[in-house]
Amino acid sequence: MKEKFGSVNTVSTVKIEENQIVAFQKNASRTYSFRVYKDGFVGIHYQVGEMSDEAGYKRAEENLALKRPYPYPLATGNRKRDKCEHIYTDKELLDIAKEALAHICEKYPQFTLSGSFSQTTDTQSRTNDNGMDFENKDSSVHVSFSYKHKDSKNITDGYFDIGQREFSFEKLYDMADNYLGSFETQVALPEEAILQTQYYGLLGMVKGCLDAESLSLGTSLFTGKMGQKLFSEDFTLIDDCSDEECWHSVFWDGEGYVKENDRRIFIDKGVPLLGYSDRRIAEKYNVPYTGNAWNNYTDIPSNGKVNLLIKRSPKTTKELLDGKLSIVLDNASGGGFNEKGDYVMPVHHAFLCDGEKFLGSLPPFTLSTNMFDMFGKDFIGVGSDQPVFNDKSVLMKVKITPNE
Amino acid sequence: MYQFPKDLYTDVRIEESAHSTFFVKNGDVESDSATSETGAIIRVYDGTMWYTGTTNDIAGIQKEIDNLASLATPNPDILNDPVVAAFEANKDTVLLYEGDNDLRKVPREQSKALILSYLEECVDKSIPELKIYTGMYNSRHVKKQFYSSKGAAILQDMQACGMGIFFCFTVNNITTEGGKYYQKLSFDRLTGRTAEIITERDRYLDYARNAVDVVPGDYTCILAPTVTAMFTHESFGHKSEADFMLNDKTLRDEWVMGKKVGNDKITIRDVGNLPNNGYVPYDDEGTKARGISLIENGVLTGRLHDAKSAVALEESLTGNSRAQSYLHTPIVRMTNTYMEGGTDDPEEMIEETKDGIYVYQVNYGTGMSTFTMQPSLCYRIRDGKLCEPIRANVVTGNVFKTLFDIDAVGTDFELFNTFSCGKNGQSVPVSAGGPTIRVKTLTVN
Repeated sequence: MKEKFGSVNTVSTVKIEENQIVAFQKNASRTYSFRVYKDGFVGIHYQVGEMSDEAGYKRAEENLALKRPYPYPLATGNRKRDKCEHIYTDKELLDIAKEALAHICEKYPQFTLSGSFSQTTDTQSRTNDNGMDFENKDSSVHVSFSYKHKDSKNITDGYFDIGQREFSFEKLYDMADNYLGSFETQVALPEEAILQTQYYGLLGMVKGCLDAESLSLGTSLFTGKMGQKLFSEDFTLIDDCSDEECWHSVFWDGEGYVKENDRRIFIDKGVPLLGYSDRRIAEKYNVPYTGNAWNNYTDIPSNGKVNLLIKRSPKTTKELLDGKLSIVLDNASGGGFNEKGDYVMPVHHAFLCDGEKFLGSLPPFTLSTNMFDMFGKDFIGVGSDQPVFNDKSVLMKVKITPNE
Repeated sequence: MYQFPKDLYTDVRIEESAHSTFFVKNGDVESDSATSETGAIIRVYDGTMWYTGTTNDIAGIQKEIDNLASLATPNPDILNDPVVAAFEANKDTVLLYEGDNDLRKVPREQSKALILSYLEECVDKSIPELKIYTGMYNSRHVKKQFYSSKGAAILQDMQACGMGIFFCFTVNNITTEGGKYYQKLSFDRLTGRTAEIITERDRYLDYARNAVDVVPGDYTCILAPTVTAMFTHESFGHKSEADFMLNDKTLRDEWVMGKKVGNDKITIRDVGNLPNNGYVPYDDEGTKARGISLIENGVLTGRLHDAKSAVALEESLTGNSRAQSYLHTPIVRMTNTYMEGGTDDPEEMIEETKDGIYVYQVNYGTGMSTFTMQPSLCYRIRDGKLCEPIRANVVTGNVFKTLFDIDAVGTDFELFNTFSCGKNGQSVPVSAGGPTIRVKTLTVN
């Protein structure tokens, strides 16, 4: 049996240095994985650039000698998904960058901006002798800026970025107004600290704990606690590749598995239900198979492709705040979780926010919490709207300590 | 060779790379692959904008040059553009990793056997807390060609192989991961490490069994050489990259040459032509590497440049313009960056410390005005003696203050090849080094 993965990817980038457009770059790449399955093994050839199917499968067949095990049946299915909304020409992208940069620089001359306007378009595919014919297309424009106040002695004072499939000047300008328009206003740290943030990075430790192999080996903090209420009633965690901000992610996993409605709940109302697995892990540890293998072009699949999202509240972010103010991190790095789940993050710069609009810059502080608290007793929710980041944001109570 | 378009500057960088990976977890071979890739980046400059494209079709490079040139505006005075004028036109071949030195010649069975033998010797399955053990090997070999319309023609190579053995110990439902990772430029230097790995295994087992949570606060900290290396890279190295201050008067005034920025005991250098992980005999603009003294006895003496920053600051090229791969344009980066060894005895530093923390190992660090390091292993110091292991999340300090707060610089200098540096979405291999140092005060959380 034969199988082929393909990825055709184009990235056009307009680069900005110190308020000037300095470069235009276009990267176009084609990568393939040719795979031949025989007697419980798979031979794989990874190819960058074009190669005929005949030559690719011949190289893959030769690599059967490496004896990479894959004793499972090939998946099948026929589906094509196109998430593209607007594909801009290179000239259009350059014009967008020129117009937007001129507008922001004219409005905020006291800042120096560096960054990029970048459009990525890609088509990913998977076909095999078992009748599979999958294709996923996507295109998005991402604008990212680092900014520095002209009187600042820092290399960079902060960052903002926005991803969109249909570019909106208004949304970018709103974001610039929030960050650059509020930077020079100094405000005091609030009595009660509520963090408002994009949450993908904060879910890393939860993800590690939901690994079915870690759960089976006893190295997960959830080991022995599955089925118990570990988090807030309002905390439901879903593996969801249908999400709007799930950029350039295919709807199948590394073994061709497609989830029903592209979603699966792993934590329901605070209760972890099961761990995620690929076929090998499910068989080895006799746990439910959930179809979460990485799409590995160079080797056999490995467990771990999960796109975890927190179920949104029916309330908006402002409604969840209920008149209180939030803290939005702008420049924070260097901390993280320890093995107990304790989380500490030094924050160099952050804004006070009413849920939508920034009210001013906060003095530096250190933020601390714990995985079980942030999604448990201190969890407030994920708003139904997209303020500040043009993306989902979570609200949670945290402890903050001013830096001297 | 290529037909470079008239009245434009053009350069071409072609890379041939080969990678291999082998990974074993609890006895299962989870990864065993070898890949190779060839690609090129073409850059055309008209004095105002760079136009850049990449291709895997090496035969089609000329077509790509012509396409990019059609987007640019011809500039008859391009050779007098300050940046173009600064570019060097070196012609050289520097191939250190051919023949018997070529990692690609190491049979895959040999590298796999090395990992399996280390696992056999270092994994003690009678340790009840041991839940996971892993072994990994990786290698890369890169050959680069660089040609420019000014006449540069450079052929150079670089390689490295890495080997790591790691352990997960679970005590009271809390899992600690630790082990030993090596990265060397030749395969034979990965051998003979069993005793070191077992020592590290036992160190992390002791931590898993006995670590206590740190009481957050300010402490005198003694940094082990690998931690000093991370500190040097993050706290000062990034600030020596001149691309952040091209037209910024505030920063130029702050980082003026000759300014006292640290204790007299501190000397920091970046040297690209050392055959270590940051080995860059010629950078990705074709500039020959120089050894740069960044701080000499506490005084700011140099910084790292690409052609653009060197021109903007009216300083010399340094050979620090690097790209992650042919898919990236070069930016100012470190190479092999280190704090020189001093004259203080590391053991005496501990003996002289009444109350403090010894930071033995860190996972990663960041560097702004406030630098941060996330420790993976620390020990409490009381009355001049190392005591129990400490579980801490982050060590922070103000860069400007900390460089003056270093009051002891040890004799035990080491250069580590295990570093990788991220900046603007690009990751490049670097080395970082230093001796044991003592800092009067750092904040530990």
